[in-house]
Amino acid sequence: MIEKYHFLSSDFQWEAPRELMLLSVISQSLFQPFSLQDNLLVILTALTSGSGVGFNRAMLFLRDGDRLQGEMWLGPRSSEEAGFIWEVLSTPGIGYVEIVEHNRSLISRNQDSLSRRVRNLGFDMDEANCRIIPALAACNKEMYLVRDARSDPRVDPRLADLIQVDEFLCIPLLARDTVLGEIIVDNAITGVPIGVSDIKLAGLCGLIAGNIIYTTILHEKLLDAEKMATMGELAMFVTHQLRTPLVTIGGFTDQLLRPDTGEDKKARNLLIIRDEIRRLEGIVYQMGHFLKVSMKEPVFFDPAPVIDAVVRSPDVQAKAQAYALNVRLAEEPPEILCDPTSFGEIFRNVLDNAFDASVPGGEVTVRTQKDKNRFVLSVRDTGGGISNADRKQLFRPFFTTKEKGMGLGLPFTKRVMDSCGGRVEVKSRLGKGTVFRLIFQSRERGQR
Amino acid sequence: MKKILLVEDEKTLCLLYEEELSKEGYDVTAVNDADAALEALASGNFDLIITDIRMPGKNGIELITQIMGQRKDIPIIINSAYQSYKEDFMTWAADAYIVKSSSLDELKRKIKELIGD
Repeated sequence: MIEKYHFLSSDFQWEAPRELMLLSVISQSLFQPFSLQDNLLVILTALTSGSGVGFNRAMLFLRDGDRLQGEMWLGPRSSEEAGFIWEVLSTPGIGYVEIVEHNRSLISRNQDSLSRRVRNLGFDMDEANCRIIPALAACNKEMYLVRDARSDPRVDPRLADLIQVDEFLCIPLLARDTVLGEIIVDNAITGVPIGVSDIKLAGLCGLIAGNIIYTTILHEKLLDAEKMATMGELAMFVTHQLRTPLVTIGGFTDQLLRPDTGEDKKARNLLIIRDEIRRLEGIVYQMGHFLKVSMKEPVFFDPAPVIDAVVRSPDVQAKAQAYALNVRLAEEPPEILCDPTSFGEIFRNVLDNAFDASVPGGEVTVRTQKDKNRFVLSVRDTGGGISNADRKQLFRPFFTTKEKGMGLGLPFTKRVMDSCGGRVEVKSRLGKGTVFRLIFQSRERGQR
Repeated sequence: MKKILLVEDEKTLCLLYEEELSKEGYDVTAVNDADAALEALASGNFDLIITDIRMPGKNGIELITQIMGQRKDIPIIINSAYQSYKEDFMTWAADAYIVKSSSLDELKRKIKELIGD
């Protein structure tokens, strides 16, 4: 027997140890891919909610260079507000997830006046400041419990003034031995003293928060690096693609301008220049078209007329003279989800690639199949196949094995398929050929 | 007359270089890929080689490596549309790197510098 369990569970074991419950609620809240701010809000909520650690308020600082910068402050502003919120939150059926939602809506509506106050606050982490709270905790990478904030000179007066409470706990946010921020918690409303078990749980939250910040920063850096790499490839590609026709046009124009150039040569040069300008136009068109930012909205439509129009188009028919073109279409194809124009373009792309890969006497086969809620359009060639090294790069922009290729057709195909919830599959054997399968979501005709 | 072997896959560009360099008094043999270049080298004597980098089949760097194995004495000019490779040309044992330009003055100057008129 095989049993399936979902990650998210709404029924907590209330007798479970607090540590386990805390980890459970945090993990469940982090299940969704929310933003860094959102994930940190989850940690602050865990620190302040009754089903978590149960502190009254939690203040978050993020490290910005050598400075701790105030970011968020969660908790009631007064004991009246606390009483009201806690009454609401103790209503049966309100769980941790609902509390996070409540806090999220507060933050998104910018109604959290505490956060507004902490955002104006920043503490340097230089040598002098590293001796006073809150920078002390971050610099020493240790948690500090402050008992008498308003009279202790080691507490920065700006913090004491803001927090207006004697006892609070500073939790540095660490990951890979680096300080990424700090959380300060207190029991300003209830005045309950902070105990050792609270400190241990708060430390656990600090470690989780540190790792969330670390992975988010890493992820952002990775995305930036990918963007830069693509930009670099784009620059190199544009340089090469544009320079060659420009050099040709410039060189032959120089010849035209020389007085000793004969009429025949002038006419020839003008033809060359015209061809190169057309080539430039083609490059500019393809770049604008395939690298366009937005995709058209997908709709359900009958693919048969589009497939038919592409197959019957004069240039496909011309290529079909050189290679055998077999078309085997499913009867009564369903309606598929895609933008019809983009569908025609990507089908033509894949078909052109199949012809380009073919050797004389080769065969290209177009086939459609229905399969439950899917529709598969496959294009098979009997060409030389794709090497493993090339296959890994097939969908990378500007990768091409063709002499005059742009390397934009297949990345565009993949983008279209992604945008309509479908996918592309490639199977290839060296020396035998390749099959591209475009798999679309589909529904029976006329169904709504 | 000094003999130049020109390796360039773009046929119209080949024609341009061929005409312009012939006008300068050089005997130019133009080929469109690395294999044809190696064949030409095996059967004829050349004073200079000008090669593109990105070509179908073997690229210009592979061609240079192969030539260096046989004929270290022939000067080589890399003529490419890629500006970004320019810093690397010494490691490829080429004598000069010229970015393709519609003005052939720099190329002509470099040829003169390496093999004279």
